[in-house]
Amino acid sequence: MRQSAYNNNIRRTILIVEDEYINQQILGNIAGEQYDVLYANNGLEALEIIRSLKTRLSLILLDLIMPGMNGYELLEILGKSDTLSRIPVIVLTGEKSAELKSFQLGAVDFITKPFDMPDIIMARIRRSIALSEDTYIIQTTQLDEVTQLYTREYFFTYARQQTDLDPDRVRDALVLNISHFHLVNEMYGRDFGDTVLRAAAGAISEYLRQAGGIAGRPEGDTFYVFADHRDSHAPLLEAIESAFSGLGSGARLRIRMGVCPGDGAAVELEHRFDRAARACHSLRNNYLENVAFFSNEMHERELYSERLIADVDDAIGQRHLQVWYQPKYAVQGSEPVLGSAEALIRWEHPQLGTIRPGTFIPLFEANGLVRRLDRYVWTMAAEQIRSWKDTLGVSVPVSVNVSRVDLFDPLLEETLLGILGEYGLTPEDLLLEITESAYTDNSGQVLRAVEMLRRDGFKIEMDDFGSGYSSLNMLRSIPVDAIKLDMKFICNITTSGVDRQLVHLIMEIAKFMGVPVVAEGVENREQMEFLKDAGVDIIQGYYFSKPVTPQRFSEIIKEAQAALRNGGQNAYD
Amino acid sequence: MLTIEALKELGVNTQEGLARCMNNEAFYLRLVGMGLKDGGFDKLEEAVAAGDLDAGFEAAHALKGVLGNLALTPLYTPVSEMTELLRARTQADYAPYIEKIMGERAKLLAL
Repeated sequence: MRQSAYNNNIRRTILIVEDEYINQQILGNIAGEQYDVLYANNGLEALEIIRSLKTRLSLILLDLIMPGMNGYELLEILGKSDTLSRIPVIVLTGEKSAELKSFQLGAVDFITKPFDMPDIIMARIRRSIALSEDTYIIQTTQLDEVTQLYTREYFFTYARQQTDLDPDRVRDALVLNISHFHLVNEMYGRDFGDTVLRAAAGAISEYLRQAGGIAGRPEGDTFYVFADHRDSHAPLLEAIESAFSGLGSGARLRIRMGVCPGDGAAVELEHRFDRAARACHSLRNNYLENVAFFSNEMHERELYSERLIADVDDAIGQRHLQVWYQPKYAVQGSEPVLGSAEALIRWEHPQLGTIRPGTFIPLFEANGLVRRLDRYVWTMAAEQIRSWKDTLGVSVPVSVNVSRVDLFDPLLEETLLGILGEYGLTPEDLLLEITESAYTDNSGQVLRAVEMLRRDGFKIEMDDFGSGYSSLNMLRSIPVDAIKLDMKFICNITTSGVDRQLVHLIMEIAKFMGVPVVAEGVENREQMEFLKDAGVDIIQGYYFSKPVTPQRFSEIIKEAQAALRNGGQNAYD
Repeated sequence: MLTIEALKELGVNTQEGLARCMNNEAFYLRLVGMGLKDGGFDKLEEAVAAGDLDAGFEAAHALKGVLGNLALTPLYTPVSEMTELLRARTQADYAPYIEKIMGERAKLLAL
């Protein structure tokens, strides 16, 4: 049996409003078995009791025809009060004709005159109280306080109810999200953030009144909409955007929408919303489009991603994840000199073949697995540096990646120093690359982490410089030991005057910051010469060497050592 | 004496009335005693005598509710009929109804 919140152990209070003493007594005698019973002889007396007890009253039994204030008038007054209308009213009447009007005024049930038998009366009272108490709890918990849309659980309950009741209707799962909403909250305050959410919710509700469907706000700035199928729900986005512009603030508010169209109805409801959410997520950082549909291609990509995530442990345990090294050359002397290396990870998957880091790194960055990956690379690199020291007698510093999430790890410093200690290395042996955008995300925490690492003696290279959004003001004080030019600038420098100008500009900035510049992705002599002339200090790329296995890198070191013996410069002093 | 048996003999549906009173005989009999002395009888009589059908309806309607609950069938039936006529504000000779009602009431009061 379905469980109700109705609890028999509570002795509830009910009010009988009836001008005939005998009727009062008969009802009171019945109800008194289980309830505390109060009496009123007319509407006015009743109102006084109701107003003083409010929702402590569990139920009102109300006669309609009474002197003074009659039952209808009392119902009308109660209906206008949010609090008092919560008390269920059962109307006592012998007239069929009174029922419709009573229902319209908010009565929940009837007891006819002459009265039904006591067990029926008790059952009606009990059921009305239980329904009203359950309804109240549902009403107060089903709606999100800010937007008055359904909360997550209720949204899915109602959506499922709709599909159960009318399974043939085709419906679309929509997930909407406000771009950079956290910035809206930060810049304009939470109150304004709430106003934005309410504006979106209002527009959604308005749209659904015509389009048909229900909406919820499962969390934050995400909205779920379960709407009757349409080829395009673009008018919904337009309505929300127009609501945003109606707020008249300077905030640039954008909404994006992922759609899982109704033809996937065989799929479970939650799954359809997951899919719509993924479609919506795919629009992040896409400033041209604001609608994405979940597609089969997206589905396959998802499966592929899930496979990669599931295989990480094996990949590490069985060394399918390999660390290769790309040499970095100092170019400002007469001859390029091998100075250091960058550790690059690659995945030789036994079934899927070679998987590029560009495929799996963003995936692992999104779910935090990248921390494990980073630790793995740090350890492998440290082991390799040790090995070169021992077998070839050289110290080759290796750049390794420190991901955004690592910077929030309170054990980061301990972990890095622990790895170095294990292989008898010092912080100069590992160069730490941190991507520029990590600095701009949450600069306070990142800057603290970076400063701590520098105090330990680590050198920090800012990776992908020029791709993020560092403010000029920030550059003045940023704690960094080298900047690494974003590859995008380099591939076009021989054809694009603008890119050449940008490189010169960045060189000026580096000079201003007093740090050396590393260029990666350098593929040919022309690029190399240009960058060298522009003042770039260190160059890495296919022009010198692609990333190679540790064994091959040992060969490169030996070749450099041989060249040195033949009169070249010593890179490793 | 006012007893269940006596009431039953006069056509009162005591089983129903008692059930409505949770089979508490004393309680039922007390209410029946009060019901028979209800001021509504006099009000009804006066109203129809004066031709005030509004007041007549109010009185009949209220009486009907009480008599029905007590299952005082010999009174309930004529009062119900009167209530419906008065609800429609029918201009009729109500004297036979009043006579009948008062007669039945007197029999019951005599117990």
